[in-house]
Amino acid sequence: MNAPAPPFVRFTFSFLLIAALPCALAASATPAPAATPAATPAAKPAAAKPAAATPAAAAPPCEACHGAHGEGMAAAHVPRIARQSADYLKKQLDDYAAGTRDNPIMANFAKALSEQQRAKFAARYAAMSAPYIPQPKPPIAVHLARGHQLAFQGDEAKRVQACNACHGPDGVGVPHAAPYLAGQSAEFLASALKAFKDGTRKNDAGELMRSVAERLDDADIAAVTGYFASVDLSNH
Amino acid sequence: MVQRLKEVDVVVIGVGMVGSIVAKELAAAGYKVVGLERGQTRFTVPEFQSPAVHDELRFDIRKALMQDNTREPVTFRNQGSQVALPVRRWESFLPGTGLGGSMVHWNGQTYRFQATDFQLATRTRERYGKNFLDPDVTIQDWGVTYDDLEPHYDRFEYLLGTSGKAGNIKGRIQAGGDPHESPRFRDYPTPPQKEHFQGAMFRKAAGSLGYHPFPQPSSNLSQPYTNPEGVKLNACVFCGFCERYACEHYAKSVPQTVILPVLLANPNFELRTGCQVQRIDLDSTKKHATGVTYIDAVGRVFEQPASLVITSTFAINNIRMLLLSGIGKPYDPATGHGVVGRNYAYQTMSTVASFFDEDVIINPFMASGASGTLINDFAGDNFDHSGLGFIGGAYIGAVNTNGRPIQYHPVPPGTPAWGKGWKQAVVKHYNHTVMFSCHGSSVSQRQNYCDLDPTYRDAWGQPVLRITFDFPPNDIKMAAYVTAKAVEIGKAMGAKQVVGSPRKGPYTVTQYQTTHNTGGTVMGDDPKTSVVNRYLQSWDVPNVFVIGASNYPQNATWNPTGTLGALTYWAIDALKNKYLKNPGRLVSA
Amino acid sequence: MDKVTRRSFVTTVGAATVAPASALLPLAAAAAPAKTANIAEPPKTTYLFFNAAEVLFIEAACERLIPADESGPGALGAGVPNYLDKQLGGAWGAGERLYRSGPWQPGTPSQGYQLPFTPAELFHASLRAINRDLDAHGTPFHDMSPEAQDAYLKSLESGAHDFDGVPSGVFFDMLLKMSIEGFFSDPVYGGNRNMVAWRMIGFPGAYADYYEAIDRHGVKFEREPMSLAEDGHGNIHVRQDIPANL
Repeated sequence: MNAPAPPFVRFTFSFLLIAALPCALAASATPAPAATPAATPAAKPAAAKPAAATPAAAAPPCEACHGAHGEGMAAAHVPRIARQSADYLKKQLDDYAAGTRDNPIMANFAKALSEQQRAKFAARYAAMSAPYIPQPKPPIAVHLARGHQLAFQGDEAKRVQACNACHGPDGVGVPHAAPYLAGQSAEFLASALKAFKDGTRKNDAGELMRSVAERLDDADIAAVTGYFASVDLSNH
Repeated sequence: MVQRLKEVDVVVIGVGMVGSIVAKELAAAGYKVVGLERGQTRFTVPEFQSPAVHDELRFDIRKALMQDNTREPVTFRNQGSQVALPVRRWESFLPGTGLGGSMVHWNGQTYRFQATDFQLATRTRERYGKNFLDPDVTIQDWGVTYDDLEPHYDRFEYLLGTSGKAGNIKGRIQAGGDPHESPRFRDYPTPPQKEHFQGAMFRKAAGSLGYHPFPQPSSNLSQPYTNPEGVKLNACVFCGFCERYACEHYAKSVPQTVILPVLLANPNFELRTGCQVQRIDLDSTKKHATGVTYIDAVGRVFEQPASLVITSTFAINNIRMLLLSGIGKPYDPATGHGVVGRNYAYQTMSTVASFFDEDVIINPFMASGASGTLINDFAGDNFDHSGLGFIGGAYIGAVNTNGRPIQYHPVPPGTPAWGKGWKQAVVKHYNHTVMFSCHGSSVSQRQNYCDLDPTYRDAWGQPVLRITFDFPPNDIKMAAYVTAKAVEIGKAMGAKQVVGSPRKGPYTVTQYQTTHNTGGTVMGDDPKTSVVNRYLQSWDVPNVFVIGASNYPQNATWNPTGTLGALTYWAIDALKNKYLKNPGRLVSA
Repeated sequence: MDKVTRRSFVTTVGAATVAPASALLPLAAAAAPAKTANIAEPPKTTYLFFNAAEVLFIEAACERLIPADESGPGALGAGVPNYLDKQLGGAWGAGERLYRSGPWQPGTPSQGYQLPFTPAELFHASLRAINRDLDAHGTPFHDMSPEAQDAYLKSLESGAHDFDGVPSGVFFDMLLKMSIEGFFSDPVYGGNRNMVAWRMIGFPGAYADYYEAIDRHGVKFEREPMSLAEDGHGNIHVRQDIPANL
């Protein structure tokens, strides 16, 4: 499970859970009709719930945490998902739904969606744009240098290959292989690496991320995540 | 001006996989070991990192990881009646260099030979009679048996972490593995790699014909693995840049990823790079080595005295080392006398291309160096050769390793070599073709041998190795037979067009085939037909051991590396438990 | 499938792009143009190795070897002459990885290339002889019809010409081989511009993690090709100094 959010945000989540949508009900196994409008004509029978269950302001629940433009919420370790590769987002939603990736909040949302609907959400966020958000406290030069080294070269003594080998030039991501890291929040990246390292996140094919994370110490994690968070690939 | 250094216990010439394993074992046993490597150090980080390493022009076409042929070439001719000329660019075979040697850039295809292979002469006579073979064929028994080597095969596979499925565990045939294999003690250390689409198509087709397909044993690992040396490897991601390249992911079993961290941490071992060994030095009796002479990168000449010398360079370079050192009698094909350079062999490779319609998407670029599915039904002596007029065989498999386009752009016969027709055919077939390999045995014959070239010299002024080789008629017949079988499998896949390209002579150095050069320092029981005894100890100079595929009396159906690993551990066992406790001849001549 | 290019990776968002909350947004069209279009004109190359007369032959000849057609650009559009120019003018042309010591004999076909020439020397010598030959007998190569050009190239290929002892087939083989290299190699070397050749066949390039995709048997792999020399904005940084060793 992801690192626990600070109390303020947890409260906010609870508020949203209650006030927003049927899909957010923890115990509910029924798909949420409001999550997808009439754009899905061949909806599964269970999806055709009466509209009475749906409040009028049916904003997709994603925005509440992932932001209006998919920019995420760094302090809460909620990742930026705007422009993330659609297949990666879809896989994460599938994994949440199946329990392969462990997160009760995301599991609820994902289970409430059909596979088709997950694909649509993934495509939606893959097409979104959000501005680059600089870190409030950028890393110091020596950490940036270490992060850059891990990104471009790796570390032989620790037997860690270059992140960019899979994650693409400047960490821009490689479709069907690895998500982007550039411009992702350092907090989220660190929580992800730690989850891979302690085994609470296990949905990486071939244990590829677990193999890397287990060899990184806290200083390396801080350096490489701070580095990638500092990579601004927006057009100038 | 030669500088004489302080004596050490052991000198290891060539720090590739063999040299690394030998050095590690002897250093761990307390001996002072110096490893002399002509190339440079290199490690996964930074030298093997991608994307830079995924450069087909540099590594595939221009052979960036290979032995420097501008300074140390070989010469070649098909027949003794011809003049041997330099191989001015590597193509047919690609010897490596640098720390880790050729196994840095290998494909990871990891096989065992079968029990019959080690007594090939005896078994062939027993099964087919004395007169079955061409009189020119000089196959021999090895002096060791499969049972001798089995625990060492196991040890090597577990060092590497090889991914595979056993077919025969202690006599019990295992579903999904190769039923023809000789018994193994236990299964592979990791499960087989994922099968690519070509492999799956092959498996169905071969199975439908009653054959026994199984996954290729791969030292590009299917999952993370910690070997008995405590070194950990990652899972391979099927990048399709395997042979001729180094692996960026710590996923291919190479010395750097399986043993060098342990070796290099042992203070009993000293690595010296940039050191070109000129010869093994002998005393006046010529029956005892005093050490080696080498020239460093700056041109200084050193004598390194040692009690024991191991030559573990690439196979053909082992032959040359003995010839330059005057160890053993050089082979003379005219008289048939002598042994060093005798029984040089190779590998007999054929291909089959199966062309499909454009709705069949192959994605050839998704593969590891040992991806694929194959059959051993036509390998070795697994089928009755009565009346066929040849011995040996090939494994047949959809074992394609890559889709790198400069070299891989299959087109059907009749396609022009260039122009619009060529381009259209390339587009039409690139992603819709399945390639089979027929990977065949190579018998030794009296006309195929190695010696020192009379004309051409290396950059240090020493004669280069001369290779005289052509495919024996036996192997051409074998290639025709197995390729026809492979074509049937292609048809059973439902391809629109199946084209077999059986190996035909003459052997050419201009086309890549394999880097499976074997023989020349053959092992055996009889000093008249072998250079080393069954423990890989020189018959002539007992404190010299020669370890390499140069020990093979002939080459079997399968890739030589697995067997070389087994021989390495077998020799180390003899060194540690017999020789070093009581130096001297281990086998009376 | 994700066809959005990375050049529009992160953009400034204005209020107008905020979607109505209740509607599912349609998939946004690819915001940036694809990195390549069909290149109508040959790229402008600054030639450093080939002289003007050689350029005329090389550009015309390469385009016959690998012509533009419905499947995409040919040698000119891909920058193959540029690749040749830079490689022949560099270490490879000067004989990198070539054993250059004598004595020299023609040898058998099995023994391969046995001439003393470096690639650069072979090209200059052969092109000099070709241009001299064609000047003396009428039409320069670049003025010939495509059919006549093909016929002339075939005559080179068959070894019908002797260029002061150099069989023309040896030159032709090297020209064809290097043209294919220039077409299919990573664009870092100055050919395969915008990865047109890789796009043509569907080769994804230097970033190559297929751990999950390999399970999707028979499914087309939809991803833009990627060069080892591209940065996070998709710009390719061409280099002329990559050695043929580690």
